[in-house]
Amino acid sequence: MSDDELSKIIGKPMSKSRVVVERGPVANFATAVCDSNRVYRDPRAAAEAGLKAIPVPPTYPFVMQTWGEFAEEQPADKPTGNPMGEVIGPLMAKGGIILHGEQEFIYHRPVFVGDVLVGEGHVVDAYAKESKGKTMTFLVTETVWRDEATSEPVVTSRFNLIHRG
Amino acid sequence: MAEATRYYEDVEEGDEAPASSHTLTRTDLVRYAGASGDYNPMHHDEVLATAAGQPSVFGHGMFSMGLLGTALTDYVGPGNLTHYKVRFSRQTWPGEELTTKIVVTGKRVEDGRNLVDLECSLANGDGEVKVVGEATAVLPSKS
Repeated sequence: MSDDELSKIIGKPMSKSRVVVERGPVANFATAVCDSNRVYRDPRAAAEAGLKAIPVPPTYPFVMQTWGEFAEEQPADKPTGNPMGEVIGPLMAKGGIILHGEQEFIYHRPVFVGDVLVGEGHVVDAYAKESKGKTMTFLVTETVWRDEATSEPVVTSRFNLIHRG
Repeated sequence: MAEATRYYEDVEEGDEAPASSHTLTRTDLVRYAGASGDYNPMHHDEVLATAAGQPSVFGHGMFSMGLLGTALTDYVGPGNLTHYKVRFSRQTWPGEELTTKIVVTGKRVEDGRNLVDLECSLANGDGEVKVVGEATAVLPSKS
């Protein structure tokens, strides 16, 4: 796929999601990343650490939708269309594999149990490179999660996907 | 278990966080699949993984980032990270001992906040790096 074709998806909206951050999933996620800190399990421990509520482990924003996206609470103005699919579909039809190349989080403030967040995702970059005779297609998406109550940004997640042809 | 509060004044460029090691098991992968919702069978179904040409099931990249994240928050304190980024370079395999490395690369005061920059990586017993990245944390000051 040419850089011109790829660049057409840059800036396109990809997702809009409302999530609720709940205590049980956060505690279980902490266990799954081998973190035994009581701060993720007990509001008293969180208070002792000077936090207003139970915080989430650093990579929890990656899985928030699995646990906290409830169908009847979703925004009515979710984007239609799937810009990532427009690129990945034709590439995968020709073979190759998809790799998660990079992941980045920018924390504007800690995410806490009890937060209700609204995330909007966009495609922010798309380009191809030749490497060892293979075409590597890079797609970068950025999702900004905002506090539903204040609209202040809470966490920005940048996801870098690679298709190796 | 988290250590006592670490203050900005306690940290100097070149400091290294205590390394933590974890031997990856298939149970880790199943637990991470359940806790994340990532049920790609390459991470839990040995039959499918070997049929696809893999030597065995292998770890979720985000498990590696999560494990390294645990070491980061053990060092800087939960809720104190302002930035965390990694590049995934190699697959992880059950039986490998994964060890974290976290080094302070700088300190700065920005907008009245005491920031500490870190580089971080996770490697196996042979020193093969699985993920490499960087992080920034805001630390409390003693003053």
